[in-house]
Amino acid sequence: MANAWKIARKSNAQLPLVIVIALAVVLVLLGKAQPALFDHARARITDMMAPALEVARAPVRGFDRFIGSITEIFSVYEQNLQLKEENARLRQWRNVATVLQTRVTRYQALLHAVPDPKLNAVLARVIGRASRPFLQTMVLDAGRQDKAMPGQAVVDARGMIGRIYLTGQRTSSVILLTDLNSRIPVTIASAAGKSGSIQAMMTGDNTAMPVLDIVSRQETLSSGDQVVSSGDGGLLPAGLPIGTVVDDGNGGWRVSLLADATSSLDVEILNFSQPPEALPSTAQLPAEAAGLKPVPPPPPSLTPAPVTSAAAPAPVPGTAKPVVTPKPAPPAASAPAEQDD
Amino acid sequence: MATLERSGAPAFNRFFAALVPLACGILGVVIANIPISFLGGAVPPPLLGLVPVYFWCLVRPDLMTPAAALAVGLSEDIMSGSPPGVWTLAFVLTYALVARQRDSFAGLSGVAAVVGFGTAACVACASAYFTIAALYWHFPPVAPILSELAMTVLFYVPTAYVVGIIHHRLVGASRGDI
Repeated sequence: MANAWKIARKSNAQLPLVIVIALAVVLVLLGKAQPALFDHARARITDMMAPALEVARAPVRGFDRFIGSITEIFSVYEQNLQLKEENARLRQWRNVATVLQTRVTRYQALLHAVPDPKLNAVLARVIGRASRPFLQTMVLDAGRQDKAMPGQAVVDARGMIGRIYLTGQRTSSVILLTDLNSRIPVTIASAAGKSGSIQAMMTGDNTAMPVLDIVSRQETLSSGDQVVSSGDGGLLPAGLPIGTVVDDGNGGWRVSLLADATSSLDVEILNFSQPPEALPSTAQLPAEAAGLKPVPPPPPSLTPAPVTSAAAPAPVPGTAKPVVTPKPAPPAASAPAEQDD
Repeated sequence: MATLERSGAPAFNRFFAALVPLACGILGVVIANIPISFLGGAVPPPLLGLVPVYFWCLVRPDLMTPAAALAVGLSEDIMSGSPPGVWTLAFVLTYALVARQRDSFAGLSGVAAVVGFGTAACVACASAYFTIAALYWHFPPVAPILSELAMTVLFYVPTAYVVGIIHHRLVGASRGDI
């Protein structure tokens, strides 16, 4: 092929090759020191491409659906039977979950448990996907103007997909759980009913199932154990469903993810803002509640004078009267109703 | 159509023609990195930016300079989202190999030309793979980079055909070689 062209015999390069190679090596080292070197440019480019991506999204989705249906059309009957069976089983589990949720709520009220952090969510559409050898990412149509921030978790209806690592004005890039750079602290709950949970680190390696690195080598796992986010470090909310443990056949463990990032169309960006935990009031301290010795009142800047809230949970018989830290005063009209409860 | 240089086009057109290889390289990078994944992301996109670098490094090295290869690799880094410098170094090293062995590569034709480009693409992918391994201190899976290599070689023939047409119509042979 190249014989068809006139071949130039010499190059008029302004920069010698050695200098260019040295520049490239310096760039690699600079990128190692500052991984966010190109982030601003990437965010701007993604923002500019967003309208075109949204236009191209529909035909691409149709094409993907068509390709996927070619293989599925031969197994529709078996899939239907499996889905009916699974649906029946899930209905049973839903009833169990409802009962357990009610019980947990009651226990939390009795124990004055610190409430779970508030989670706001932004609904976003997937407008792009990229599966590169060293990066697996998706592009969402929500950015800084929608209060999407780097580090926030992205979930679909089935479980966690990944985290936002780059936000533009109107778009965000999500690093998937399977990506080489993804590391998520997780908690593994035994499916066999064993008590306790195991802490581990889930590490992506660009395969479909991330690797589990167990913190304690004495713990043993079994296939089918449930994997959820642990919330360690305060970056992600605890308890986000991620997947189930599977044996990789080489003595290690991997996670079969619940969410399928290749087919998700609409996702939620969870705005996880962990509220600062308030200091317990003096009457809630164990020694004080047992009547051992009086404790001087804390400085007003740390713990304001305790007042009895109308929204406080019902007192537990045999304990001191519960006193909670002040909250914003409820509207006058709603107070009697809460007291009636 | 006569090339711009052959027809005695003014200096402005020659300057424009000189920018064509670099522009084609960056355009190839942009097309390959549009974040639309067919087949559910089962196959990675090809390194389309490498084809213009390889092609013009052989036929017009005065236009595809090391700095131009650096620029194409840099745009690949920015667009692909990979760690900074990985593809820049890979493209520059590939350019260095092709420039050193220009006579060997330029003499290939037919299937051998595809094998020649495959060798260059293999050097690029291997460079990127080992750079990543050095940065992360462990070897990533080989399958994704092999898939990218296969896709790049698969797309070489149509891309080289388009690049050849662009070369004939806009760039042409070097004045000293005519």
